Amino acid sequence: MSEESNARFRRTLFRVMSVQVITLLLLWLLQQTFTR
Amino acid sequence: MNPINWLIVIGWLVYVVGYGIRRSRGTTDMDAYLRASRSLPWWAVGLSVMATQLSAVTMIGTTGQGATDGMRFIQFYFGLPVAMVILGVTLVPFLHGSGVYTAYEYLERRFDAKTRSLTAFLFLISRGMSCGTIIAAPAVVFSAIFGWPISWSVALIGAPAILYTIIGGVAATTWVDVKQMYLIIGALVAVVISLVVQIPASPIEALHVAGEAGRLRVFDFSPSLNNTYTFWSGLIGGTFLMLSYFGTDQSQVQRYLAAKSVDEARTSLLISAYWKIPLQALVLLVGILVFVFYQYHKQPLLFNPAQERAVRAAFPSEYANLEARFDSSRVLFERESLRGEALSMAARVTHETVKDVNYVIPRFVRDHLPVGLAGIFIAAVIAAAMNAISGELNSLSTTTTIDFYRRWIRSEGPDAHFLAVSRTATGLWGIFACVVATYAVNLGSLIEVVNKYGSFFYGSILGVFLLAMVPRAKATAAFIGLLVGMTAVYSVWHWAPQVSYLWYNVVGATTVFIVGGALSLFGGSGSPSKTPSLRHPERSEGSALRA
Repeated sequence: MSEESNARFRRTLFRVMSVQVITLLLLWLLQQTFTR
Repeated sequence: MNPINWLIVIGWLVYVVGYGIRRSRGTTDMDAYLRASRSLPWWAVGLSVMATQLSAVTMIGTTGQGATDGMRFIQFYFGLPVAMVILGVTLVPFLHGSGVYTAYEYLERRFDAKTRSLTAFLFLISRGMSCGTIIAAPAVVFSAIFGWPISWSVALIGAPAILYTIIGGVAATTWVDVKQMYLIIGALVAVVISLVVQIPASPIEALHVAGEAGRLRVFDFSPSLNNTYTFWSGLIGGTFLMLSYFGTDQSQVQRYLAAKSVDEARTSLLISAYWKIPLQALVLLVGILVFVFYQYHKQPLLFNPAQERAVRAAFPSEYANLEARFDSSRVLFERESLRGEALSMAARVTHETVKDVNYVIPRFVRDHLPVGLAGIFIAAVIAAAMNAISGELNSLSTTTTIDFYRRWIRSEGPDAHFLAVSRTATGLWGIFACVVATYAVNLGSLIEVVNKYGSFFYGSILGVFLLAMVPRAKATAAFIGLLVGMTAVYSVWHWAPQVSYLWYNVVGATTVFIVGGALSLFGGSGSPSKTPSLRHPERSEGSALRA
């Protein structure tokens, strides 16, 4: 694989994992705020 | 139901079939039919990957699960992003670069024909029956809610998808999937907005009501193997399941084999990983808001109208009494207990275990969604079913043609011949799925058995592909490992039935890998590999990464 495509993959990977972490944090916040 | 709703449903089906047929122009050879001549951009493949997995069972069953059980089910998908990353780095570049039509075709290059044939056969059995189940699930619900014969529901859901899939192959199904995903997401968002407007409380108050009832409990960190949905079963068991499903199940592999390049194939998987958990949260939110809606409006004691009619006829005064107590109760625990009693009554009438989770949302749609929006949601449910059906039919046809017909019956011939065989296989599998769906009510527990058998295979097949990454792994060892893996999973199911099915994939994959690996190391000679392993591709025809 070219260096450019690997770099693109890493950038997309970073964005994907960031979205997952943010989503999990929001779900955690939802649980903590509204559940006893 | 208002006729305008049906006009919307029929109009959408006609549009989608016409669009699918238009996008099939240029499908004149087998490569175009089975791989869209590798012309598809990453975003279309990514949406198609999501669409193939998002069936009507998600739209009806998962929303219903949100209403009755809350957010916990989302843990099932925690392993998906992890699996997509692993596949993007390992299997996807290799399979795409190797020029294969099916994942199982690669297994003969790496191991031998019997390993290829067994894994392909297991795929055909599990996917073939699964295709029938995907049609049956919404068909049975529609029949109960709207009072249609099952065969009408099956025809409405199955026929359009079979038509454009036969004509257009992968290209048609992918582009139709893209359109239908827009409808599905739009319908889900519109229903959430409608619910927020109809619930006579602010969104924050509504969330408090849901939270008080435990519907917003997302994470379960208990280490128990018996709880179906925990953080650990979702992350670990779910990773193995998703690795197997997206890496070795032809219905998904076929999607990214049609991408323009390895780079776009990898990106398509990452994009579907991007949105899966947020999308599932949206689906579950619909169910949770329906639950909240029914705290302010009269809720049916039984959501399945057909069962409700049967129970009223069999136990009129008993049911009326139960219903009066249910309507006057404001205590959640008491209301759920009364629902349990009603379901027991339904079980006495039908002589089988009764759950009506799948009827919660359709009943709400029929009775409370505004005219127009109800039609859009029903069209979205049918769209979700069609996306899954078309993807499965593509893959069943490809595996039948490439792994069996071309491999064992006729290896040489004009391309037009194999194109005709592929189209015929699509049609025959479509008819098979419709027949299974039509008799699904009678098959009942057999469908459940078939679905469980699917979970026996997945992990073990993944184990074979993991072994393929080991240079010293031998063909016979892999085959024996596969058999032992499936036996191990069966043993867990039989002797420890309380163990959550999500762990079956871990059991299957690790057993195959360990047994196959050990036999390869200590078992003497086996068939030498014809092709380098996944980890050590070389630049040779039909293999390796084409950078």
